[in-house]
Amino acid sequence: MKREEIAERVIKTTARELKLQPSEIKESDQFAMELGADSLKSIELVAAFEEEFDLTVVEEEALKVQSVGSAIDFFDSIINKK
Amino acid sequence: MKKYELQDVTQPNLVEDIFPYSLPPLIKFEGKINETIDGKVVEFDPNEVKTRDIHITDTTFRDGQQARPPYKKEQMVKIFEMLSRLGGSNGVIRQSEFFLYTKNDRDTIDACRNLNVRFPEITGWIRANKGDFRLVKEMGLKETGMLTSSSDYHIFHKQNQTRKQAMDQYVEVVEAALEAGIRPRCHLEDITRADLPGFVFPFVQRLERLTENQPANMKVKIRLCDTMGFGLSYPNAAEPRSIPKLIWRLRNECGISPDRLEWHGHNDFHKVHINGASAWIYGLNALNGTLFGLGERCGNPPLEGAIIEYIALKGSLSGIDLSVITELAQYYEKEVGTHLASNYPFVGKDFNTTRAGIHAGGLRKFEQIYNIFDTTALLNRPPRVSITDKSGTDGIALWVNDFLGLKGDERLSVMKVAKIQRWVMDQYEIEGRLSSITDEELEEQVKLQLPDFYQKYHKN
Repeated sequence: MKREEIAERVIKTTARELKLQPSEIKESDQFAMELGADSLKSIELVAAFEEEFDLTVVEEEALKVQSVGSAIDFFDSIINKK
Repeated sequence: MKKYELQDVTQPNLVEDIFPYSLPPLIKFEGKINETIDGKVVEFDPNEVKTRDIHITDTTFRDGQQARPPYKKEQMVKIFEMLSRLGGSNGVIRQSEFFLYTKNDRDTIDACRNLNVRFPEITGWIRANKGDFRLVKEMGLKETGMLTSSSDYHIFHKQNQTRKQAMDQYVEVVEAALEAGIRPRCHLEDITRADLPGFVFPFVQRLERLTENQPANMKVKIRLCDTMGFGLSYPNAAEPRSIPKLIWRLRNECGISPDRLEWHGHNDFHKVHINGASAWIYGLNALNGTLFGLGERCGNPPLEGAIIEYIALKGSLSGIDLSVITELAQYYEKEVGTHLASNYPFVGKDFNTTRAGIHAGGLRKFEQIYNIFDTTALLNRPPRVSITDKSGTDGIALWVNDFLGLKGDERLSVMKVAKIQRWVMDQYEIEGRLSSITDEELEEQVKLQLPDFYQKYHKN
C-alpha cells in the first residue's frame, strides 16, 4: 500500500473519530494538542486505525505516536514492513 | 556532608534481598539498639529474634470472644482446625486459650481435642479463684491462665484490696495450681499502668521463688497484659509504658526466661501490632493475638498480622500455610457473620484492589509495582482492580484479562477494551453514576463488546 493511501485513510479515520473535516487535519497536527484527543480518545483512535487497516499493533509503540504524520509513518512501516 | 552521585544503572535494583516477592518483605537489622535503664546504656540485639523460639499464642476464643456474641461450638472447632493448618506442624501458633465456665466451653474443648492436632495446644483461662482449678483439672489441661491484676487502678479501685492482700491472694491461687499439677500462667493485667518496682517486680520475684524447684514445664509463665493499650515500643520511653524496659527487667532482674514471657496487647492507640512485634524483638517469645484483631474494645494483636511478621523476621514460612488466612476470612464473612473492613490488611475485599488508573497501569506492566508480595501464590488472592471513572483503560484491560484468564501475549491491549471504557465513562459523565461498576455489569460488557473472546476464554 502506498504512503498516500495510508495517509488518506489515517486522516479519514481521525476525522471520523474526532468529528472533524478531513480538510481540517494536517500531517503536522498533534492528536492531543491540536486535534483535542484526550487519553481515552487517543486509545479509541488507535483502535479505529487497527480496524481500518485490519491489523493489531503493539500497545506501547502505538501509544507513543503523537502526530498525524507519525501515525502515517507508523502504519506505513507496519503495512509495508519497512 | 557525604556526597551521593547518581548511579545510572542498566538493570533495576529491586532490592530483592529484602523484597523477595515470593515471601512478605523481610525485616533486617543493622546493629544493636540502645536503651537507657537506671541511667546506664543497655544493649538489645534485634537479630537475636531470628534464632529465638518466638511463636504466637491465640486468644480468639477468650479475649476475642469477650467482644462478640458467643461462637457456636461447630464454628470454634472449624476455626481451631484452620488455626492448626495456618500455624503448621512446627507450632508457630503454639497455644490457644479457652474459657472453661460453660458446658458449651467444655464440649468445644473436647471436640477440638478430638481433631488430634499437635498445635495449637489447648490451655484454659480462669479467674483468680482456687475453686476454678477443679474445672481445669477435670478438662485435663496442663496449663491455665489466671487473672492477676497488677496496677493500683485494679487492686485499689476494682478489687478493694491492698497490694499485700492482692499479692497473697494471687500467690495462693498459683500454689493451688502447682498442687493440682497445672502450670500457672499469670496474666498481669494493666501492667503498663502499674507501679513496677512497688508491686510487679516483687510479685514476679515471689512467683519465681515459688517455682524455683519445679521442673521447667511447671515454672510460672508471665503474660504482660497491656490492658488499655498504653505500652510504647519507642526507645527510651519512660516506665511503666516502656515495653523494652519492662521485658529487660523481667528477664534480668526477675530471672524470667524469654520462653516464659508473653505479650498481650490492646489497640486503643493504634499500636497493637507494632507493640506485639516489638515485644518479640525486645526479648520475649510469645505474642498473644486474635484472628483479625477481634477483641475487647479496639481489639488485640491481629494473629494474621503476627504470622506475616513472623515470616518477615524469620525469613521463611516455617510450615505456615498463609492461604488459610483467606479461608478464615471467608469463613468469618459467610458462616460467622463478621464483616471485615474492605481495607483490612491481607484479608479485606480491597486489600490488594486498586481503583486508580495510574496504579492499574503499573499493575499491568509489572505486578510487583503495586502488589505487596505474591498474594496469588501465598494468600490465593490475585491483585484486582475495581472499576470506576478513575480506574482508566488500564484498569479495564487488567479486569478483562483477569476475568478471561489471559496471560502473556494472549492479553488484550487497551485498544481492544476501549469500547468498554467508553461505556464506563458514559455511566459517570452522562448517567451521573456515583457507585463502582459491578463485576456483573463488566461481564455483560465483555459479552457485548468482545463476544469472540468471551466465547473462547470465559469459563463458566
